Amino acid sequence: MSSLPTVDQFTPASGIGRIDTPADIARMKASLLKDIQRSAYVYRVDCGGCNGCEIEIFAAITPLFDAERFGIKVVASPRHADILLFTGAVTRSMRMPALRAYEAAPDPKIVVSYGACGCSGGIFHDLYCVWGGTDKIVPVDVYIPGCPPSPAATIYGFAVALGLLGQKLTAKTHVEGENERVAIAHPTVPYNLRVLVEREARRMAGYRQGGDLAEVFLAAMEAPDGRPFADRLAGLLRSTPDPRTREIFEALGGVITAAVGRLAR
Amino acid sequence: MFKLIKEIFRSGEATVKYPFAPLPMEKDLRGKPEHTPEQCIACAACTIACPPNAIGMTTDVEAATRTWSIDYGRCVFCGRCEEVCPTDAIRLSQEFELAVAKREDLVMKAVFRLARCEACDTPFAVAKEVAYVQEVVAASAPTPDEAEQRRRLAATCPACKRAHDVRQPAAFGVARRLEETRR
Ligand code: SF4
Ligand code: SF4
Ligand code: SF4
Repeated sequence: MSSLPTVDQFTPASGIGRIDTPADIARMKASLLKDIQRSAYVYRVDCGGCNGCEIEIFAAITPLFDAERFGIKVVASPRHADILLFTGAVTRSMRMPALRAYEAAPDPKIVVSYGACGCSGGIFHDLYCVWGGTDKIVPVDVYIPGCPPSPAATIYGFAVALGLLGQKLTAKTHVEGENERVAIAHPTVPYNLRVLVEREARRMAGYRQGGDLAEVFLAAMEAPDGRPFADRLAGLLRSTPDPRTREIFEALGGVITAAVGRLAR
Repeated sequence: MFKLIKEIFRSGEATVKYPFAPLPMEKDLRGKPEHTPEQCIACAACTIACPPNAIGMTTDVEAATRTWSIDYGRCVFCGRCEEVCPTDAIRLSQEFELAVAKREDLVMKAVFRLARCEACDTPFAVAKEVAYVQEVVAASAPTPDEAEQRRRLAATCPACKRAHDVRQPAAFGVARRLEETRR
């Protein structure tokens, strides 16, 4: 290692000081963002993610999303890079290579932490072998959350990094108001019956669509117009064009009929 | 050459207009989980379900508050929180523009007040949650007396319930009767 040049050999001639204090770097970064007259070169540092993030980065430079129309170009060496894109939760073995890539990139450089893993370790945050996020090893300028961030979220993140778009999210703290109470949904439907209906709907259609369908069903059964249950169900089925939805509503009707039958016995 | 140009015109432009125009999103896209604190009872179901522990809760017994928090920087957009929420207080939205410059901006919090135990007066659970549970258990009770008893049970802390469970059999003299049977 003795052949490596010392720091003094790098110190420029008199008049030009060394420019690596944090203030200098901040100033240079600001001027880079202001008068960047060329493409912004991105180098991607994979610090041990699942590769999902890489796939989305490449999806973002395909013709469909075409990040290159904003001059965002992925380069093959950190020495060409303006933007370093760190993906992955920073595994122990990727820490040194990641630091070397960071040191190899010329100042001023913008560090973007990509994906849930990069932002905080994500799903791997409490693994024994990870550092848990890019900001544990290098200073980060922009965080792009997502697992993985979609190509559109990637483009938005780059736009935030380059100062083209403002950020939308800010930290918020809600404090419970006076007499804040949560009412039971569908109070006219017995609680246990509502649970049975929702469970059946979710079993048939998944939690999202099932929950939405149960909501439609219960609202229709609850409407205060005094018609008998069978009429309402028939009306709901008539007004549902989609046969799959109709089948689910029929099954939910069956749940209610069975429950009423159990009660009558 | 002419054929190629014709083909180019025929296929049109594939590139989306985003970010100059909004990007049409799927209705059921799993984007940013949107939390409605007014609708939340701080039951912690989402805290337990969340695979990467993006949702967490901390309790401050001194101030009698419990703080729910979500870290969008750790969320993997799986939808488990929405699946388990009993009051539909959290739902994944179509919002995907989440990039921020400061890590703190990715964290949302909601502070809830704790209710005091009816028996020992120590704070033990979020007041909204206790009120909600009271309503649910009372609504399914067969008699008004039973409903009242269930309400009081819901407003009692686990330690007092346990103590009560020990005292009550003592009052019935279970131990004495067991002794007698053994003899
Ligand atoms: S953020 Fe998600 S998609 Fe990206 S590397 Fe981590 S686990 Fe994979
Ligand atoms: S599951 Fe719903 S009600 Fe319970 S703490 Fe989470 S958001 Fe609040
Ligand atoms: S979507 Fe999944 S990871 Fe995100 S807060 Fe909900 S449960 Fe946690």
